[in-house]
Amino acid sequence: MPASRRLKVWRIRLLMFLAVIGPGFITANVDNDAGGIYTYSAAGAQFGYLLLWVIIPVTVSLVVVQEMSARMGAATGKGLSDLIREEYGLRITFLMMIGLVITNFGNVVAEFAGIASSLQLFHISRYISVPISITVVWLLVVKGTYKSVEKVFLAASFFYFAYIIAGVLAGPSWKEAFVATFKPPHAGPFHVPAYLYMVIAVIGTTIAPWMQFYLQSSIVEKGITPREYRASRWDVISGCFFTDIVAWFIIVACAATLYVHGIRQIRDAADAAQALRPLAGEYAYILFAAGLFNASLFAASILPISTAYTVCEGLGFESGVGQKFGDAKVFYWLYTLLLIAGGGVILLPNVPLIKIAILSQVVNGVVLPFVLIFMLLLVNKSELMGEHVNGRWFNVIAWATTVIMIGLTVAWFTTAGGGS
Amino acid sequence: MPSLALSELIGAAVTDNTGARAGKVREVALSPQESSTQLSSFVVKTRRGDRTVPVKTISLIDNTVRVATSATEWSPFGGGEGLLLLERDLLDQQIIDVHGRKVVRVNDVDIHEESTNGNIVLKVAAVDVGARGAVRRLLKGALPASALHALLERIAPRLIPWEFVDLIETDPARRVKLKISLDRLAKLHPADIADIVEELAPAEREAVFETLDEEVAAETLEEIDPKLQVSILSSLDSDRAADIVEEMDPDAAADVLADMHPDTSQEILTEMEPEERAEVAELMTFEEDTAAGRMTTDYMALRQNSKVEDAIEMLRNFEGGLESLSTIYIVGEKDKLLGAVPLAKIALAPPGTPLMLLSTGHMTTVHPGADENKVAELFDKYNLLTLPVIDAEGVLTGVITADDVINMLRAKL
Repeated sequence: MPASRRLKVWRIRLLMFLAVIGPGFITANVDNDAGGIYTYSAAGAQFGYLLLWVIIPVTVSLVVVQEMSARMGAATGKGLSDLIREEYGLRITFLMMIGLVITNFGNVVAEFAGIASSLQLFHISRYISVPISITVVWLLVVKGTYKSVEKVFLAASFFYFAYIIAGVLAGPSWKEAFVATFKPPHAGPFHVPAYLYMVIAVIGTTIAPWMQFYLQSSIVEKGITPREYRASRWDVISGCFFTDIVAWFIIVACAATLYVHGIRQIRDAADAAQALRPLAGEYAYILFAAGLFNASLFAASILPISTAYTVCEGLGFESGVGQKFGDAKVFYWLYTLLLIAGGGVILLPNVPLIKIAILSQVVNGVVLPFVLIFMLLLVNKSELMGEHVNGRWFNVIAWATTVIMIGLTVAWFTTAGGGS
Repeated sequence: MPSLALSELIGAAVTDNTGARAGKVREVALSPQESSTQLSSFVVKTRRGDRTVPVKTISLIDNTVRVATSATEWSPFGGGEGLLLLERDLLDQQIIDVHGRKVVRVNDVDIHEESTNGNIVLKVAAVDVGARGAVRRLLKGALPASALHALLERIAPRLIPWEFVDLIETDPARRVKLKISLDRLAKLHPADIADIVEELAPAEREAVFETLDEEVAAETLEEIDPKLQVSILSSLDSDRAADIVEEMDPDAAADVLADMHPDTSQEILTEMEPEERAEVAELMTFEEDTAAGRMTTDYMALRQNSKVEDAIEMLRNFEGGLESLSTIYIVGEKDKLLGAVPLAKIALAPPGTPLMLLSTGHMTTVHPGADENKVAELFDKYNLLTLPVIDAEGVLTGVITADDVINMLRAKL
């Protein structure tokens, strides 16, 4: 009898672990979207190893921030926008939601930039690829088939390993890369606006505002309670490490190929694909295009809908793809407009796809501290979080991230303004 | 009967009997012990701290709240123990719209002003959950008052009358003190209550299940997503959980207890009445996806020599779920299944008729180990409402009802 009971306990533990593995890992994977891939690639191409030092502090911040989101979801059972609304009222929520819609819109544009540029490598015009993708994503989500496709997206995310292999095969200067990882450069590059811009973009793409809303809602939706949270925490932390290991290798792969060969500006997907040459040779473009396309479509399926959910929940509109159109008009319109307008920007003549993808990540970085401030205020309220309030080191790290991001933004504005 | 908006009252200037500005409105309070609709007092922020101003001392409310007493007499605000503070407890919070059967967020509160014998009486009339309240709050102070009013006129309000609102309070002590109950919610169909509960946060769900009557709580729980059932029951005290589980259909109770952590389900079982515990514990030993796992032991069976009148007498005293009653069973020695009589036949036959005469000729049965898909097939093929489960000796061990099969099929879609 005790043996079978023990077996049952184990079975439940295993089920609990499998049930909670997901939100953190999915968020981390979506984090390496078109904006992410292009930003990391551009960072490596433009500055070689000079940006690698960002990865370690950004990983620490990412772990802390994502853990806070997940913990808030588990402890309160409410989404971030709900909490902001309940604690800080309608006006602040409204401003926050406007900021989030604008920021996330930028990310949606970046995803379609990813879709358009990846399929261009197969000579498919963006005027064909983008409208088809918009339709596919819309139907996938609204018809409720998304959940079954999610696994395909996740499995295809193994494409990121291509960067790890390519990074190794490219034969980078390991010593230089490791030194650059642990030692930031001297003050010199910090006076260069383009360098600051790229630092903000790398941080903004790694710790994106949407992730905090999305992760917390996913935890709530999964019904993860403080009791099951321990397993969730590992899911979140391992997801963060995965994201940043991939980021490190993308930068190294690009530094060892593009930077070394003097391709400092990535103008299109074909340039970025060169980084995978050590692995795939002349077929690098196929590997790159397939991976980028998958990542972009994955994120395009998640970002607009999660934005619509967040906004509607915070502002009190009916939401959910289970609702009839007439009952949840704002929800459906917001979702549809984000998709169509996001894709529409890409169809404007002469839109620089890569530049716009990176710009959207800079906006992420600029908006991030505002989201962090609210998260920090909320996560430290004992009437909400009970015993799950932040520990001292978490507060130190998260506040430091907030202040540094504001500092970087100010520094970039002043240098860019002074330089021009 | 002029109507005021809570968001306009909050922050309004307050003057005392000298006509001098004494402070501004910080909160508006309802004292549920005295009245569930009538406002009791304002909390006024003055230079010397927060003061309580009873509504009955207010002489006029225009753009300013004019109080008839001297500001020096106002008593300090004691922190709002036993008070419902509308700005803190209601504005921006989620409430249950009982009429619309859903959870909504409060954008503003409509307060009606009545005047009786020169005294002002303020009553909470409705909560505003639509765009009008939202726009008013967003643009307050940003637009001139007259322009804002003109704009608001054009927006159709979405109001929920105060009598259709149930509040959710997660702190049990405060719930008692503020007389917050879920009376109105409890009157809804359990399936509707279940939909509402699924929209709430865990602590709020717990509060609902602590407040609801056990029987309603049990029926509601059965309608909720199985994974949530587990988390709700686990969050309750084990004796409260046991009370609810006892009222549940035994097969539903067994399903949820089987999915719980063994320690928690054991605690709940220990708290249950011996008879119900034995029933549920037995059902828990069956695999969930077999006939036995789907069956209930709450059914009606009579001896073979029983008459219609005996059946009717037994029906009157039957305490289990109604869904298994569409068929009544006849058993012989050692509970061997001999016959089945549809309820309609009993209702139509004279009281003295022996039940065996009414029994249907061909009886469909299933063995405990049968796969649940087989069960569904039988229901489909023979158009069944209930299906008896018999063991190798022909002993009746339980009954599967059509609603269980529908649940099972839906879960597979």
